[in-house]
Amino acid sequence: MDPDRLTALPTDSQLMFASSGAVPWREEDATHSMRSLAYFIGTFVVALMLGIGSAWYMIERGSPLTTTKVGPWNGWVTEGNPQADPYTKAHVARSGRLPLTSTVARYFTASTDSAGRSLVSSCEYSIEGGPLNARWWSLAVYDTYGGLIDNPSARYSFNSEEMLRHADGSYRVNLSRQARPENWLPSGAADQRLVLMLRVYSPRETDAAGIGLVPAERLPKIERKSCE
Amino acid sequence: MRVRLPGLYIVLGLVLAGLIHIVAVLMLPSLAPRNAHARLAALGPANTMIELPAASPGRQVMPMMAPDVRYAVCRFDLANGPVRLRAAVPDELWLIALYTPEGENFYSVVGADMKRPQIDLIITAANQTVEEAGVDAPEWSDDVIVVNAPVNAGIALIRAPLVGPSRASFAERALRATSCGPYVRPSPVVPSPPSETTETPEAPL
Repeated sequence: MDPDRLTALPTDSQLMFASSGAVPWREEDATHSMRSLAYFIGTFVVALMLGIGSAWYMIERGSPLTTTKVGPWNGWVTEGNPQADPYTKAHVARSGRLPLTSTVARYFTASTDSAGRSLVSSCEYSIEGGPLNARWWSLAVYDTYGGLIDNPSARYSFNSEEMLRHADGSYRVNLSRQARPENWLPSGAADQRLVLMLRVYSPRETDAAGIGLVPAERLPKIERKSCE
Repeated sequence: MRVRLPGLYIVLGLVLAGLIHIVAVLMLPSLAPRNAHARLAALGPANTMIELPAASPGRQVMPMMAPDVRYAVCRFDLANGPVRLRAAVPDELWLIALYTPEGENFYSVVGADMKRPQIDLIITAANQTVEEAGVDAPEWSDDVIVVNAPVNAGIALIRAPLVGPSRASFAERALRATSCGPYVRPSPVVPSPPSETTETPEAPL
């Protein structure tokens, strides 16, 4: 680039160190622009991956900005709300769902057990939860696409009205492939990952913004019992 | 000069990544091809109440639908005037919710909060009114809820959560009795707006 640089190079050790990869010849201009182009394209590709990847992650999985995480349960705080942040809006649009605004209902999903292992249909789980202060709630199981799981007893969920409960209002749901006593939620014959959704309609406790509150300790614990 | 180049590329890369991130997040709601509105638009015409089939494996209009809730949907289009939604709400669990096409729930009412079991809801666009000239409040206005929608088209969704499996047919029957259609001004003084708009909701004004 600069003819003075050739003479300066041997004496300026700092510059020499930093530009050790440089080619100090007359063809440098061409090489340099080629390299710049390569750098630029590389930078652009990396930026594209970073930008799209981070956007995808924050829309699909959520972040502390948009979701509350309690054990395995994940809930979008302003889901369905017209004043929701852009991540929540994008999440709702992408999901294809029509959630009620969080002042009317809260939705919590879990794709892992309480120990953080993925929920799979080949394992048996015990889901234990406390009573929820809401007008109606329901616990349902889906495949990873949000589809209900085929089973001979046509049982896809348990809601607050039909759940068998203990004397203190708590309950246990057995999520498994084979029939179980108490509340049996079948996980289907196909080998696949599972997603649980707890929907809570009209929670009676709300925060100052009117967003329904579901105490963390009332959300069910998901314990893996055994695997095939 | 060369010394700063890797640093420059890193800064440039991060700024670009940030811009791409923001554009992607903001563009996504309008680009999502399989959003709820697109799924529901495939079911039938606008301004008609459509009862959704009970969610079962492989037969779901939207993902993650509640298997123990029965749904009825009306895709409203306000281009030809306000739309009226009427329902006899049989229990306090019923939820009526209005959405923008992007899935923002801008209005909702719970059965328990309704004063009377009959709900009469008129959805208007920002520039529309159902009030009569020269009258503070028309006689019928006590029974009618007028919702000014932020959009000219959207979705009205009625949810009937089941209190038990035996209640499914009851809820389905109640949903079938709901109605959704163009609102016709009741006053005989004002000539009514063009009728028979149910079949051609996309007709230009």
